[in-house]
Amino acid sequence: MDQELKTYRFLQTLLFGAFAVILFFSLKLQIFEGTKYYRLSEENRIKKKYIIAPRGKIYDRWGKEIANMRPAFYVSIIPALVDKNSIETVARILEIDINTIQKKLKIEKNPYVSVKINRDVSFKQISIIEEKIEELPGVEVGVEPVRNYPYNQLLCHLLGYVSEITDLELKQLKEYKIGDYIGRIGIEQQYEGILAGKDGIDYIEVDVKGRELGKVPEYRPIPPIPGNDLYTTIDLELTDSTAKFLKDYPKASAIAMNPQNGEIYVFYSKPGFDPNRFVHGLTDEEWLALNNPKEAPLYNRVTMSCYPIGSTIKPFLALGALDLGMIGAEKRFDPCRGGLKLGNRYFRCWKIHGSLNLIDAIIYSCDVYFYQLGRYLGIDNITDILFEVGFGKPTGIDFPQEKVGLVPERKWMERRYGKNWTEGHIFNLSIGQGDMLATPIQLARAYTIFANQENSIVTPHLNKNLNTGSKKIEKKIDALKLVREALSGVVARGTGMMAQVQGFEVSGKTGTVENPHGEDHSLFVGYAPKENPEILVCVVVENAGHGGSVAAPIVGKIIKTYYEINKRLSSE
Amino acid sequence: MNRKDYSILIISTIISLLGLAMIFSTGGLSYFTRQALWLGVAVLICLMISRFSSRFWQTFALPIYIFTCILTLIVLVYASSYPRRWFNIGFFSLQPSEFAKIGTILFLATYLSERKKIDKFTDFFIPIIIIAIPSFLIFVEPDLGAAQIFFPIMCIMLFWAGMPFEKILIFFSPIISAITSFSIYTWLGFMIIFGIFVYSRKKLTEILYHLIANPIAGLITPIIWHSLKSYQQKRIIAFLSPWIDPQGISWQSIQSKIAIGSGRLFGKGFLSGTQKKLEFLPERHTDFIFSCIGEEFGLIGILITVLLYIFLFYKLLRIARETKNKFLSLVVIGIMSWLWYQAFINMGMTLGILPITGVPLPFISYGGSALLSCFIGIGIVLSIIHNKY
Repeated sequence: MDQELKTYRFLQTLLFGAFAVILFFSLKLQIFEGTKYYRLSEENRIKKKYIIAPRGKIYDRWGKEIANMRPAFYVSIIPALVDKNSIETVARILEIDINTIQKKLKIEKNPYVSVKINRDVSFKQISIIEEKIEELPGVEVGVEPVRNYPYNQLLCHLLGYVSEITDLELKQLKEYKIGDYIGRIGIEQQYEGILAGKDGIDYIEVDVKGRELGKVPEYRPIPPIPGNDLYTTIDLELTDSTAKFLKDYPKASAIAMNPQNGEIYVFYSKPGFDPNRFVHGLTDEEWLALNNPKEAPLYNRVTMSCYPIGSTIKPFLALGALDLGMIGAEKRFDPCRGGLKLGNRYFRCWKIHGSLNLIDAIIYSCDVYFYQLGRYLGIDNITDILFEVGFGKPTGIDFPQEKVGLVPERKWMERRYGKNWTEGHIFNLSIGQGDMLATPIQLARAYTIFANQENSIVTPHLNKNLNTGSKKIEKKIDALKLVREALSGVVARGTGMMAQVQGFEVSGKTGTVENPHGEDHSLFVGYAPKENPEILVCVVVENAGHGGSVAAPIVGKIIKTYYEINKRLSSE
Repeated sequence: MNRKDYSILIISTIISLLGLAMIFSTGGLSYFTRQALWLGVAVLICLMISRFSSRFWQTFALPIYIFTCILTLIVLVYASSYPRRWFNIGFFSLQPSEFAKIGTILFLATYLSERKKIDKFTDFFIPIIIIAIPSFLIFVEPDLGAAQIFFPIMCIMLFWAGMPFEKILIFFSPIISAITSFSIYTWLGFMIIFGIFVYSRKKLTEILYHLIANPIAGLITPIIWHSLKSYQQKRIIAFLSPWIDPQGISWQSIQSKIAIGSGRLFGKGFLSGTQKKLEFLPERHTDFIFSCIGEEFGLIGILITVLLYIFLFYKLLRIARETKNKFLSLVVIGIMSWLWYQAFINMGMTLGILPITGVPLPFISYGGSALLSCFIGIGIVLSIIHNKY
């Protein structure tokens, strides 16, 4: 081949080779990766505008709204259009840190998507921004529905709150997106699946500057699906009264429920917090205050606080012993002389009771009688009955946070104290002091065995359409009858006299929990009426002294109010 | 060769009409009208030029070269706005760099055709000086895209004039040395492998050249790199790693790929490109018009465009081969390599396989000067076909 032809052939190869490369890469982009690039081009031009679905409302048992929605202003920024000055101005008006804004703007990958930088903004702040909006490119204001708790602190622990989803949660919960609210603690968390709606989507065509050109006809908008409403068993008015009865005490909890079906009327714990504050996003100081270990306002005492249950344990020991046939109602131990010596220790009673039978020992809450009964029963029989009525296990209430407490059974004792644990431990346990721990909700549930005519322990619940069920306890009818008589006697003539309500036969049991850190905790669990009780109330007042003098009258008042409300509403 | 062969004019006009349609789609009626006028003028001038005697080019090669270089110099001094690329003459503007390409090709062809044999190392120097003058003037405008085009034109013309390919490769190896010097290992690898290649040719001058020029090029590149404008650096970085900053420097490349890729096989349809319509596609009617063809007409559109170009270049190459006059043959090769290189670079850039340099797509991109200069090129080739001597 001559040189000229060689040169010609070479150039020809170069020429066609170059275009072959072009065609190859076109083929790659358009055919092999065409779908991907088509999707990218659609993502470029189509902005998804979410239509926020309102969260379902929450009602009390009488149909009053205890959580609803209200409109709130928000401020958002389109990163691609905003300038430094505007960010500074907005930060100054909203009184937030510039870095906080910039951090939020960085999370969104598409610079033309507007990012909410502050929510639940005050009307005044919005007015200032609106006034200057012409000078603030990329800044937008809008209105969105947000959660509202009209009775703020009153139901805070029951309802929980909603707040913006965290980055970590976003990674785990695929169905959520940046800026969504999610239920935290309480009913909001428990029933997130029911309450949360599904946001709708409007498809808007935008140009490269993010300017909205209108809806895209080929994409059908998706309407939002509002969340479902939730009807609770809660009695708002009764809860409000309960809060008033407890107003003088800084730390307390109260449960009122129907012992026949488990519906909870009152679920109250104090101190509390304003759940509305979370919608806006908390400042660091607010968050620190909520987590302050001394006040712990976020701490829900109904299901999370574990206390020894004091003398409220005594009816269970009595029930256990009677049922096992180990004693009869008339059984007397050594008389109470104000205490009992065990080895070189002396276990006190709170009073000199003399010789009592079982019923009177409950009525007058004689510790010496129960020291001896406990010793007589033995650790295994005691812990058996405690487990049977639900201590040391979660209650199964439809509520997300619950502690299990502790029943110090033999194995636990041996682990804790070695082989050398003594009868002294049984003495303490027999009067509900020492190692045993239970939550107020466990205590309330355990007492339904006395209040429930089916001889069941009934699990409390908050959702009106849910039944958490009950558990039949195989105990002799006679044994239960005897203890019920005793509980009625407690209020009629014993330590719980202050729980008396005119016109109703209240039964119950006082408890005083020794507190090494300060004043004793005051407990009372009571129910009424004696036959077919409609309401069971458990009140724990921290650092308030004797159960008979503080908790008992409060329980009485709650029961009285319950009947007043029911009488009024049924006559309406 | 047929004395009445107008096929290259016809094919060029077809490509231009395709371009016109795309300009209507990307720029709207006002751009379309202006470009249509330019096209009319360009075809007329092309036909006029085709009547010239081919001897004219040889006679006036140097004056044309000097004239276009002076024009380029004047625009540098008198241009009213930055970058200093355009003369504003009433309602239209002229870009002398487009015409400097023609002047340079003509003069380079004159020089190369006057040499008996082009195969020595020293034969590089004069051609380099010839292209360096317009290239430098355009570089300081600044227009890096247009400045670099002279170089491949010269290489192909040298090759056509008889310079062996290996020599060109060795002579320009300092450029490869410079590129590879961004990584010391790549550079060492290049120095060794290329050294073995040069050594096997057993030519002392070549070995010495390799041992001196390549290390120097490799060492001064960092200095040159730092002297580049930051946007120029960014463009190179963006090319090397396009997803490094998708909102910033790589935006154009990514949006162009999205436009082409989303066209798939049949395209989104004429006037229906969303990347184009919503302005995601940058420089839609000029540098990135090919992306718009890809978006609206899909692979079919790209295939047709490429086939039209292939046909045009195939014809030009044939003409160059069949033209027995060395000068005229070199002119045709010069014009072909210019158009071919711009087409390739532009398409490669829009496809994301080459760095983004502002090179228009011949006959298709919006721009009067570019269109006119292309048709002048075609006119020169026609005059060569029609007026053999």
